[in-house]
Amino acid sequence: MVPVVEASNLKKTYMLGKIPVEALRDVNLTVESGDFVAILGPSGSGKSTMLNLIGALDKPTAGTLLIDGVDISKLNDSQLADLRRRVGFVFQFFNLIPRFTAIGNVELPMSIAGMNRAERRRRAEELLETVGLKERMNHKPAELSGGQQQRVAIARALANNPKFLLLDEPTGNIDSKTAREIMSLIKKLNEEKGVTIIMVTHDQHLAKEAKRVMQVFDGVISSDVVN
Amino acid sequence: MKTRDVFSYSFSAIKLRKLRAGLTTLGVVIGIAAIVALLSITQGLQNTITVQLEQGLATDTVIVSPGRSLLSGGAGQGAGIGATLGGDTSDFKLFVNDTATVNAASSDIEASIAIVQRLVYVQSDNRTFAMNVIGVDFAKYADFYSSTFMTDYGNIALNPQNDTVVIGKRLNDPWKNGTLLFNVNDDINITWANATARPPKNETYTGHVTAVLKEVGGFSFGGPSDTGVYIPISQAQSFFGTEECSMIVVKLKNSDKTTIDNASKAIEDAFNGEVSVISSTAVLDILSSVFSVIQLFLVGIAAISLLVAGIGIMNIMIVSLIERTREIGILKALGMKSRTVLMIFLSESVIIGLIGAVIGIVLGWGLANVVAVVLSGGGLFQGIGGNQAATRIGSGLMTITPVLTPTVLVGALAFGIGVSVIFALYPAWRASKLKPVEALRYE
Repeated sequence: MVPVVEASNLKKTYMLGKIPVEALRDVNLTVESGDFVAILGPSGSGKSTMLNLIGALDKPTAGTLLIDGVDISKLNDSQLADLRRRVGFVFQFFNLIPRFTAIGNVELPMSIAGMNRAERRRRAEELLETVGLKERMNHKPAELSGGQQQRVAIARALANNPKFLLLDEPTGNIDSKTAREIMSLIKKLNEEKGVTIIMVTHDQHLAKEAKRVMQVFDGVISSDVVN
Repeated sequence: MKTRDVFSYSFSAIKLRKLRAGLTTLGVVIGIAAIVALLSITQGLQNTITVQLEQGLATDTVIVSPGRSLLSGGAGQGAGIGATLGGDTSDFKLFVNDTATVNAASSDIEASIAIVQRLVYVQSDNRTFAMNVIGVDFAKYADFYSSTFMTDYGNIALNPQNDTVVIGKRLNDPWKNGTLLFNVNDDINITWANATARPPKNETYTGHVTAVLKEVGGFSFGGPSDTGVYIPISQAQSFFGTEECSMIVVKLKNSDKTTIDNASKAIEDAFNGEVSVISSTAVLDILSSVFSVIQLFLVGIAAISLLVAGIGIMNIMIVSLIERTREIGILKALGMKSRTVLMIFLSESVIIGLIGAVIGIVLGWGLANVVAVVLSGGGLFQGIGGNQAATRIGSGLMTITPVLTPTVLVGALAFGIGVSVIFALYPAWRASKLKPVEALRYE
């Protein structure tokens, strides 16, 4: 089976004014289907850069990165957008569209993918039920708690049957009790539904929940441990 | 993303900022309303004038008047307006007996009659009316204008008595309410200010009304007019003390363009180019081109307001784009293509343009009707056509019916949407080019 993410000798260099900054240096990693990987690192370690690359939001400077078997450095803008539909993004700040209701937000990626109205509504209801938020589906984000918003965001990420969920500090903006609920939901998705999870975090406790922890430091993977 | 979903997404964004979108739309509304109102009024005015001219003009007649044409140097079509506009600087005069020269000029000519026309004053009670006295051969005139030189009351004597006067409908019932000013068998005093006498004096002619013309309704151009006072030409000659005539109306064998052109040329040549010959078709052609220029000018002015509206749209779109940077980042992270982001912004402008244009058309049409009523009632255009009397007598000589042609309708719609889209292109393009990583980081 094709690994969902496969990186070899991955490099990313930014220009900070005129000074080149090496955010990633020679990163090699493979994430198989069904995995639950935590990418752990302090701020400035290069984990956000890695998140952007794995999420097909950005292209590497050198090396190859295969997402679902596709080399992203060879893709144009439009093809990258298509590839992103196979990635389920969950952001630290939820990033829901405030004017849409919960179900409207969950429908959005399916609408972008061109799915028809009735089908996406049905699937959105299903997904909201999965994350335990069906009864709040007609509420706008402002009427939902942080934890509820993150559940909506997870439902939205699952909308287009992605190859993996890519979570960026998923509990960074919610209280610890709700954070535990979110984590158990994520674990449940991984264990019961077989959803591949890649979670980027700086929180060691959170990382312990994953099956595998990769430590990133100074642009390289310093350790890769299976829990 | 499906087109319907793109529009629905755009609409939700517009709905979020109703006031802002409303004000942006208002710009388009004003521009389109101005264009529609101006176009439909000028079109209505043109139609009214054309119809009235066609009523007053026989297509198989041409009018010969003294003076070289400024416009065409004497080449048939289009001649004459120059003379009318005051282009006559020579002292050439056209005389009553010049009809013989005209008749001999071309075999296309059937007959011709001389017309002596002067501005006079007619007294009634304590009121004075400025009218045109027209001296003509009644028999020939009735033959030339058989459909309009007809009576409502009384008879037109083909061999009239010397004091016979035939009056236009307007002098009979100026207010159109049955209050008659002059009727058959009334005596009428016509006063002419004789400036050539030393010292200048007013000369008065007393006539006897024998007939009232049917309402002609149009402008007269050589032909019978509602504001005319008709007396036998011999009387006009002796009253005004002149052999000079104002114009010669020429009846042609047919109304073909070549006949008109050839006869016009022949007549001009017969007078060594000292006269101008104008046909009804030429008048209509000139009128139509004058109106085209006026319309273009007015639409140009109105288009400036739409341009301003366009800049408003661009401004608002750029503000909106900056506000929604993060949203665009999210959309791109969820797999939206740059092209779709572009479409979303453009469809917002299409919605604004469409709503603005529709409201603008309705508003402009309403405005045109209001203006038409005001103009018709206020009598601002009554003086057109040289009937000075009309400015004093009654009102509502000319009714303007605004015309909204399908071309204007579709054009206004397309223009409204087009301007919105063109000015939204740049902001939309900028939105589509946002990099997802940077857009997501935007606070």
